[in-house]
Amino acid sequence: MSSPGRSWPSPAPWQPSADVYRTRDGWVLKFDLAGVRADEVTVSIRGRRVCVSGVRRDTVVEEGCSYYAMEISYNRFERYLDMPADLENARVTIEAQDGLLTVRMSTEGNEYV
Amino acid sequence: MSEQPVVYELPVLPLKNAVLFPYLVMPLSAGRPASIAAVEAALASESKEVLVFTQRDGDVDVPTQDELYAIGTKAVIRKMSRSEEGHLELLVMGMERVAMVKLDHSEPFLKARVAPLPLPEDTSSELEALQGALIDLAGEALTLAQPNAPQELRGLLVANDDPLRLSFVLASMFSLDAVKSQSVLEAPSRAEALRLLHKYLTHEVQVLELRNKITSEARSEMNKEQREYMLRQQMRAIQQELGDKGGEQAEADQLRERLDKADLPEEILKEATRELNRLAKLPPGAPDYNVIRTYLDYVLELPWRKGTEDSLDIARARRVLDEDHFGLKDVKERILEHLGVLKLNPDAKAPILCFVGAPGVGKTSLGQSIARALNRKFERLSLGGLHDEAELRGHRRTYIGALPGRVLQAMRRAGANNPVLMLDEVDKLGHDFRGDPAAALLEILDPEQNKTFRDNYLDLPFDLSKVLFVTTANALDTIPAPLLDRMELLRLSGYSEEEKLQIAKRYLLPRQLKETGLTVERCSIPDATVRKIISGYTREAGVRQLERAIGRAARKIALRYAENQDLAACTIQPDDLIEMFGPEPFTQEQARRELPPGVSTGLAWTEAGGDVLYIEATLLPDGKGLTLTGQLGEVMQESAKAAQSYLWSHAGDFDIAPSLFKDAGVHVHVPAGAIPKDGPSAGVTMATALASLYSKLPARSDLAMTGEITLTGLVLPIGGVKEKVLAARRAGLQSVILPKGNQKDLRDLPEEVRNEMKFLFAERIEDVLRAAIPQLGDRMSRVKMRPAA
Repeated sequence: MSSPGRSWPSPAPWQPSADVYRTRDGWVLKFDLAGVRADEVTVSIRGRRVCVSGVRRDTVVEEGCSYYAMEISYNRFERYLDMPADLENARVTIEAQDGLLTVRMSTEGNEYV
Repeated sequence: MSEQPVVYELPVLPLKNAVLFPYLVMPLSAGRPASIAAVEAALASESKEVLVFTQRDGDVDVPTQDELYAIGTKAVIRKMSRSEEGHLELLVMGMERVAMVKLDHSEPFLKARVAPLPLPEDTSSELEALQGALIDLAGEALTLAQPNAPQELRGLLVANDDPLRLSFVLASMFSLDAVKSQSVLEAPSRAEALRLLHKYLTHEVQVLELRNKITSEARSEMNKEQREYMLRQQMRAIQQELGDKGGEQAEADQLRERLDKADLPEEILKEATRELNRLAKLPPGAPDYNVIRTYLDYVLELPWRKGTEDSLDIARARRVLDEDHFGLKDVKERILEHLGVLKLNPDAKAPILCFVGAPGVGKTSLGQSIARALNRKFERLSLGGLHDEAELRGHRRTYIGALPGRVLQAMRRAGANNPVLMLDEVDKLGHDFRGDPAAALLEILDPEQNKTFRDNYLDLPFDLSKVLFVTTANALDTIPAPLLDRMELLRLSGYSEEEKLQIAKRYLLPRQLKETGLTVERCSIPDATVRKIISGYTREAGVRQLERAIGRAARKIALRYAENQDLAACTIQPDDLIEMFGPEPFTQEQARRELPPGVSTGLAWTEAGGDVLYIEATLLPDGKGLTLTGQLGEVMQESAKAAQSYLWSHAGDFDIAPSLFKDAGVHVHVPAGAIPKDGPSAGVTMATALASLYSKLPARSDLAMTGEITLTGLVLPIGGVKEKVLAARRAGLQSVILPKGNQKDLRDLPEEVRNEMKFLFAERIEDVLRAAIPQLGDRMSRVKMRPAA
């Protein structure tokens, strides 16, 4: 878990769409991140801000084929979400399935909240 | 997160006329084969990265390293599609600023080795101030460029707290040109970037302000026209809603209906229909619309064929003429003659009459009377002082405010094509550089030409041949000969005292009494009083002064009644006139009782009638020559010389010593000295005065004379006999010597004058002298009877 070190980070070319759910014991964030390997995604929480960043690589590139059209964005992505509560001490589980990245944050039993 | 090596190589996408900034997304179109190849190469890579450099010259297709700016932007292609022309439509996002190390020209696309050039990160208080100023300026520019821009756009600017990013957003938002954008991209510090942008935006704001001013001016001008157009459309819509046709359409229809009903000659109808068709095509606002409308109105109102029916009852006509005017036998006869002709030949050409006479003799009212006698319309137009031909003939329709001439206007007023048209004061026509109205009259008054009189305005032939033209004039010498030639002259000479008395009793007195509200019972003016007014208070050929004097007397009586209701009927006696009017302003040149030698009685014609004229001559012992005084004209001076020469050459016949002519001068004076006199008719009077002077014998005082003499002693006829005789009678002279040639003119005299006066007709000067100086006559007989010398 790290945040960009520079004061003005080089911008990310694209941002994935996200759904935010409220659950009984916390929050569920769902990111549209098809074609992104789970190990290349970084989720960082700093106070109320949740940041999801990573890289989507174009794995279909092969010799002798060329693009006719391109609508999916590649290269780095970065998505910030400002949540209504401090989530720094929440328990976080990350799960990637069917092109969706699900981030569960549970504050249950968190004595500070 | 992948770390880029310090120097890396990527395909190059050269841009024409645009700069891609870091952080910003921009649509691009790649059409050049090298660009397409570069994009395809970039897409084939995992990262989809490409280098975007701006060309210094937008016209170069394959730029060299020098032709590209050295600083560019690394970008990621986010989307790509192909257009129908085979171009690649891209959406790219700027990532970081890079500096070119080396451009590689290898086929099929350009590649470059670049090193990242991190954006400056300086901070200062100046920077903050600049940032604030720039946001304000940008807000202003945004308002000017897009007054309807959503408020959020401004908010976006303020939210952009990074100064550099703000600069980039603004530079692309205001579409700064490539050179300016590139300088912002290359800025070595944030402050520099802001300063540059501030400069560019200030310029932009000025341009926008100017542009807004121009468009708002143009718009306000257009608005006015649009407004009028809208109102007109609305009006039309309202008219349609009300079931009216459009105003102009209704008008055209109305005119067409009138045209169909009007009895126009074929040629006129054709022309009018043509004009009407033109009118129907014009919008009512067109300047020609009203011109054509007025024209058509005129055409329709003119009496092309309409005439009144003449009353051919000669007895009635005679009665009417006699009712209105006393005397004037010749004129009345002429009118009745024409009536007789009309009875036999209804298409007879109307005569063109010219009444000549002194003011107030009734020329104008006679015209009205003729119209009444014939039962025709009467129109009168005064030509006095008219000096523009266009007044008679009209202006051409091309002039603004053009109207037909007065002749056609009179015809329109008359509403008939056969009125009595009186052209008053034809002798007082003026003429100047604008033309000679007399010349225009030539056409109007010529029966051969006026059948197709063309007015300049109408430009259609109008038939004036049925019009009975009557012109009036005081004198003939100012009327051009060709015009005079076209008219039939009828002289209205002055009235005699007797005639004036009759006119006063029959017309003037009743009229004035009526106007003052008196009745004959209340106020009577006996003949003697009228005579006194005629002779003592007026001097004229006509009766205007007489009428005014009677009116004045009547008013004075009316005042008396107004002040004292119980006043008994009153009669104005001749002696009352002095009290009413004061002393007589005119004393008739009363016959002098006894004439000394050298004085003779002559007669003169004046515009106000005739007058008695004394010619006085005296000898100037040891003087020389002939002195003439009394404002005598050249002709009169010459006749004096002729008279003297005749007497000199015949001195023996008159028993006058010829030495008298040689040794003494003569002075001839004709009172009243202030009035200019001219004409030959005083010849016999001069001769008589001189003969009386040289023979020292007085001339008869009860006898007046007139006549021109020649050097051989002949007496020639003269004009104005009637006036002269009447003047002699007024002065109390009983005898008049007239030239033999004037014997026929006695017919003109009223009968009572003819009976009362004694006339002597002279053929030679001897006849005159014998009658005028009886003693000289005796002497002449003696000389003749002497045994042959």
